[in-house]
Amino acid sequence: MVKLGKQSRSVSIVGVGCTPFTNFEDHPETKGMDEGSAFGYAALEAIQDAGLEPRDIQYFYHGAANPYLIGDSLTPNMQVADWFGVRGIGSVHHSEACCTGYVALQEAVQAVASGSYDIVLSGAVDLAASLPVVNAPGCYRRDFPLNEMLPTIPMVYDRAYGRAFDSAFGISFDNWVNKYRWEFGLTAEQIDDALNGISKVLRREAVANPLGFSQKTFEELAAENGLPDADAYLKSFGNPKVTQYLRVTGFEIKCDGAAAVVVMPTEMAVARGLDHKVVEVLGTGAAAYEGATADNEYNGTKDGAAQVYELTGVKPDEIDLLMINDFFLAGDLAVPEEIGYVPRGESWKYAIEGRYAYDSDKPINTNGGRCNFGHAHGASGVADICEAVWQMRGEATNQMPKAPRTTFLRGFGGGQNIRCQILRTVE
Amino acid sequence: MLLENMEPITKKFYDALAEGKLLGRKCPECGAIEFPPHLGCNACGYHATEWVELSGHGTLESFVVPGIQNDKPYLKAVEPYGYGKVKLDEGAEYSFVIFCGKKKVVKNLQERLYADHETIGVHLKPIERVTPVKPGAEETVTWYEPCFELDEAAEA
Repeated sequence: MVKLGKQSRSVSIVGVGCTPFTNFEDHPETKGMDEGSAFGYAALEAIQDAGLEPRDIQYFYHGAANPYLIGDSLTPNMQVADWFGVRGIGSVHHSEACCTGYVALQEAVQAVASGSYDIVLSGAVDLAASLPVVNAPGCYRRDFPLNEMLPTIPMVYDRAYGRAFDSAFGISFDNWVNKYRWEFGLTAEQIDDALNGISKVLRREAVANPLGFSQKTFEELAAENGLPDADAYLKSFGNPKVTQYLRVTGFEIKCDGAAAVVVMPTEMAVARGLDHKVVEVLGTGAAAYEGATADNEYNGTKDGAAQVYELTGVKPDEIDLLMINDFFLAGDLAVPEEIGYVPRGESWKYAIEGRYAYDSDKPINTNGGRCNFGHAHGASGVADICEAVWQMRGEATNQMPKAPRTTFLRGFGGGQNIRCQILRTVE
Repeated sequence: MLLENMEPITKKFYDALAEGKLLGRKCPECGAIEFPPHLGCNACGYHATEWVELSGHGTLESFVVPGIQNDKPYLKAVEPYGYGKVKLDEGAEYSFVIFCGKKKVVKNLQERLYADHETIGVHLKPIERVTPVKPGAEETVTWYEPCFELDEAAEA
């Protein structure tokens, strides 16, 4: 196992910003929005939230999951560089699919921890609901139908083998939930009930969130369709299983969005005496197992969690909030046990009983997660970090009754990249 | 690094597969089989590996049934299948398409594997794939995809 070393100095999150996660083309306020503007809005909100001006930013990171297809761009950091008043400073683009947003925080923290910079912005943007009109300005977009999107998903996988073997894509969605099912002797129906239990909770939270994509709860959708309750809706013909275990509601709602964070040394953050709490990044564990290697998401999560727990000394029972990047819902069932948030063999019961709700005893994804809050691919991880920070400050929409002191974030992207991060409020 | 010290590992793998051979690479330090073939050893982190021909046989370790999202028509056209982890007889593990012979076998395979703990043998079954060099092009590349098939499907 990789043993993480101590940072030269502690780094904290001092500003967060996030656009709505929606289809920009559907709203008159945002129709014609391009990547530069969207990133700029999120960045400026984070900078103002930090009590700073753009001139204070010394370096920035830009993340996007698929800049060539969705953004029609190379050197994507330069697509946003002039938009938020930081012309000329150094920047870099990175892309780890849906893990991009979590890597965004890791990279920014490392830049400040090293001493190279004091104030760094890290953001991400993906206008994943539509495609650019190539050879026209950035404000012109077109439809991005499923038949154009689905063939691009395997592009995250290794060209030499995993992708060509069809196995990386084929096995990815059900691999871990299948392992979970048979390890604990559950039926397919119990797994379905557990995943639907998670869906109900997360959908309600996304609907309540003004930044979230979903507008109707499953209870409301059931009533509209003449069905008795949310469970009937979730198990109806309108929501079939599309893999062995996962229904349509078990997959992402892709959309547009941008989010950003500003970080600085903790000592500097505390000395500034801002109104809201400073949130320290205690550490990031990292792993990445190629998609067709055995049990890759399980092994990556295990490794990343072990690294960050070992570095930070934090114990699982100190975790108050767990954010899980859930492009597909299976991780919401398996990850809580794997990182020690809930007891072994119990996650499926917690899911059915609604105990993952923001106002219950083991909250996960209080913004609703990828399948309900929405998925702007590279930006989603940063949106999760924003939600974690708002929760920890006591400023979130679905505010936990007791603001969490310690948050664990499990980033997962391209079916392969894993980041396990722990945040803690500075007292 | 000079040209004479380099070789196209991936191309050699697929050329061998076209002849029905499954190649791996063996680590001279720890003896592990690196599959699929890479330059360095991922088992022990040694810098070198050497070509070795594998038996093409293994045991099935996991299995999931495709749904409409992860189903491929060109695989269905061969025979009923799923996706699974195979442990090769030489020790390496990787995920593959697993052909099962019959639909009812696909349906019951997980019970046999996980509940009954049955040892299920599988063997290499490459399938021909033809890919246009670009969308709509007449020029194509023909290559072979390494899939596995249940031993019992071949014996039937």
